Amino acid sequence: MIKPTTMSRRIEKEFRFFLNGKAMTVRAPPCHTLLEILRYELRMTGTKEGCARGDCGECTVLLNGEPVHSCLTVMTQVEGKNVTTIEGIDPEHRLVRSFVEAGAVQCGHCTPGLIISSYALLLKRPRPTEEEVKEAIRGNLCRCTGYSKIVKAVLSAAGV
Amino acid sequence: MSSMASYVGAPVVRRDAFEKATGTANYASDLFPDGFLWVSVLRSRYPHALIKGIDARRARSHPGVVAVLTHEDVPVNRFGVFAKDRPVLCDDKVRYIGDPVALVAAETREAALEAVKLIDVDYEPLPAVTDPIAALRADSPRVHESGNICRQTSLRFGDVEEAFARADIVVEGTYTTGTQIHAFLETEAGISYLDEKGRIVVVAGGQSPHRDRAEIAHALNVPAEQVRVITPYVGGAFGGKDDVTVQIHLALVTAKTGRPARLVLSREESMISGTKRHPAIIKMRTAASRDGRLLANEVEIIYDTGAYAALGPAVLDVAIENCNGPYRVSSARIDAYLVYTNNMVASAFRGFGAPQVMFAMERQVDRIARRIGIDPIELRMINAIRKGDIYVFGNKMEGSVGIYECLKVAMDHPIWRDRRKDGTLEYPWLRRGVGVAAGMKGYTIGALPDRGSVSVELKRDGSVVVGGSFTEIGQGVVESVAQLAAELLKVPVERVQVLFADTERSPDTSVTSASRQLFLAGNALRKAVVALTERVKDLVELETGGRPTSVTFTEKGVLVNSNEVMPLNELAERLELRGFGRMVIGTYEVPKVEPIAGTLEIPHLFFMFGVTMAEVIVNVLTGTVTVPRVVAVIDAGRVINPINFTGQIEGAVVQGLGYALIEEAKIVGGYLQTKDLSTYLIPSSKDAPTIEVIPVETFEEEGPFGAKGIGEVGILSVAPAIVNAVAEACGVEPTSIPLTPEKLYWLLKEGGLVDRLRGNEGRIG
Repeated sequence: MIKPTTMSRRIEKEFRFFLNGKAMTVRAPPCHTLLEILRYELRMTGTKEGCARGDCGECTVLLNGEPVHSCLTVMTQVEGKNVTTIEGIDPEHRLVRSFVEAGAVQCGHCTPGLIISSYALLLKRPRPTEEEVKEAIRGNLCRCTGYSKIVKAVLSAAGV
Repeated sequence: MSSMASYVGAPVVRRDAFEKATGTANYASDLFPDGFLWVSVLRSRYPHALIKGIDARRARSHPGVVAVLTHEDVPVNRFGVFAKDRPVLCDDKVRYIGDPVALVAAETREAALEAVKLIDVDYEPLPAVTDPIAALRADSPRVHESGNICRQTSLRFGDVEEAFARADIVVEGTYTTGTQIHAFLETEAGISYLDEKGRIVVVAGGQSPHRDRAEIAHALNVPAEQVRVITPYVGGAFGGKDDVTVQIHLALVTAKTGRPARLVLSREESMISGTKRHPAIIKMRTAASRDGRLLANEVEIIYDTGAYAALGPAVLDVAIENCNGPYRVSSARIDAYLVYTNNMVASAFRGFGAPQVMFAMERQVDRIARRIGIDPIELRMINAIRKGDIYVFGNKMEGSVGIYECLKVAMDHPIWRDRRKDGTLEYPWLRRGVGVAAGMKGYTIGALPDRGSVSVELKRDGSVVVGGSFTEIGQGVVESVAQLAAELLKVPVERVQVLFADTERSPDTSVTSASRQLFLAGNALRKAVVALTERVKDLVELETGGRPTSVTFTEKGVLVNSNEVMPLNELAERLELRGFGRMVIGTYEVPKVEPIAGTLEIPHLFFMFGVTMAEVIVNVLTGTVTVPRVVAVIDAGRVINPINFTGQIEGAVVQGLGYALIEEAKIVGGYLQTKDLSTYLIPSSKDAPTIEVIPVETFEEEGPFGAKGIGEVGILSVAPAIVNAVAEACGVEPTSIPLTPEKLYWLLKEGGLVDRLRGNEGRIG
């Protein structure tokens, strides 16, 4: 078991993966999480950190199309895979538009993770029911909106 | 938007939504200044202990560590808004488990986290007091040398004895409410650096940049001008960032090292060290007549403020002011205590002391209604206060008072009218009920001095920049202020830029709390527009020799004397050319009220009101409560932005649902057991009810375009409405929130409901 030590003494390994379609190589301790690499090494801050232990869903990204907590995904799991973060979602995407227009964004800290989870849902279920939306985002906590406008935004993006 | 249309009341999409949704918006936690030091905080190991010594030698020599700071490095080591009782870094003792003892600043994250563990603190543990009633006893361990009573207030109004003597009904209860944790999604976060003039700049999540600056300057013993505070988008606050969090620590590291610094609390650290909603014990005895008039209220309020006062003294005032509900109670006797314990610090949280007493009073009112056999809404309508009434403290209700109208709307709503119609549920162990509760709370900071300034600058291209120190904590104040400016100056809202929350660049609009910013900033903006109008008159007078009689803003520009139209770009240019300057500042002061004796901020002049109705389904065998539907009827004044308005109320309803049912901070002997979001549960999408928000648009004459505060009103009556619904469904009288399945199960068992069900339905269980 490799524990994180100081920078100078830590064991590092090279990881290759695709980040939003682009080939990436990063050097990091194998136990570092994808979230740490995204935020602290690559300074891609669209992916938010809310708890770093898989409780809040803020850091959700797609790993080969599946939504995962990037805070619970260590770099060895990322090797050779496709990672999609909020920066990889087209700003013109209908989900972004409907979140903005429905008022689903307040403080906005949970929004990138919610858009990723909703994006993953719509890939599988292009016309989800309200219950399916609530189920798909149950792991994404929001403290501002009470979820009403978020659920409406996802349904409206799906044209439901 | 057409030239005739108005921005006030329009569902304008907020300007920050797109950048937030695409991940490009910067929060304090997203900033990494060049060459910054990672900061980490050593926090107390004990809820109460003396510090005999701190040895930081091992930590200082750890590779990558640049500085380890202790109390010896803090010039003025006490801060706090109402009482300077809180150490920046603990010196003589620690008073709760989140108390900060030392700071480590290091080149790497790992080094900062590791070195904190290498600081040796010699503690002498002291007995901790964690029960506020025990803390009031003479033999209790003392949290502070001055004793454990942080504040005590006793108020008497009217003849309580006489009222109880002639009462037909007296209802008595002791209510307890839990410690609620804000659980904003972005933890307390910030960065700091020295600017080119050598001043300390702190960019941090907060609610009051000017007040935070004053706290930093006080602790560092430097003039306020040496400190600049910027508050970028904040990932949620709800009162939890009303007090200083990371700001002084950051400023201290930068002052000592000359280096930029970054400090972002982990979730666990945030849960432990952050402020909370005051847990409360409220005893109430309420007298009523047979015909449903509330005659007297005898109230004892005990709020546990934890280790430090923080904003507790004002929270206690708000509790006192609202404990009689929005009713014409003719007499009251109130004894209120704010008590120090070795629990975590309690301070501001949406509702600011009102939700606790509202839970108690609205449970009382419902029980009185049941005793009389009257519709609970009708009982509330009989007693509802009206505009112009003299409230129990002798203060006149001068602002808009829409509680009666809200109750009327509630009474006619199908959720209430049909509440006993569809009784058939899927299983015999399920019970359905609908409950109601009313709420009130003053907005602005009442009898405390309350003023705010806003600047308006005309740009030479004819666009407008509005500046103010209001903070964007998610509520949407930036867009609402832009809408008001667009309305007043008749410019497209896209032509209004808003410069917010920067002590260097935006005037002091004071705190973003107490549901006051739209009201304050909106009114200051109105004053700024008046100042701009006067300046236009000065300009025309200088240019033509005659002072114009009228100046009005139109879509084409400024209309002078109903003949000359000057486009705003031309006006800006001429103002500059003639040396008037293109910026004006408006200052609004909330009309001054004298506080009633013994209080800080009672009375308020302006109040928000609302009614919540909740439908619940109770599983009698497990004690679990689900809430399929909530209707919130809100006296909102004039609604400026309906999307932002409903968003505020929906969010508050779900926060209130968490408060009522699931948010349980377990604290044992001063130690928090629920340190993460898998043990301290906040509502998820699966817990959230279908919410209908109905605005009752009373017109607040003093407000901008009739608007009033809306930030807190949505949460006030949610918990009592849900618990009243449980009482209606099951015939039990819960007195404690959160009403967890365990608590409710035992109540139902005590009430015989569980056994009755098991007996009748032998196959169950």
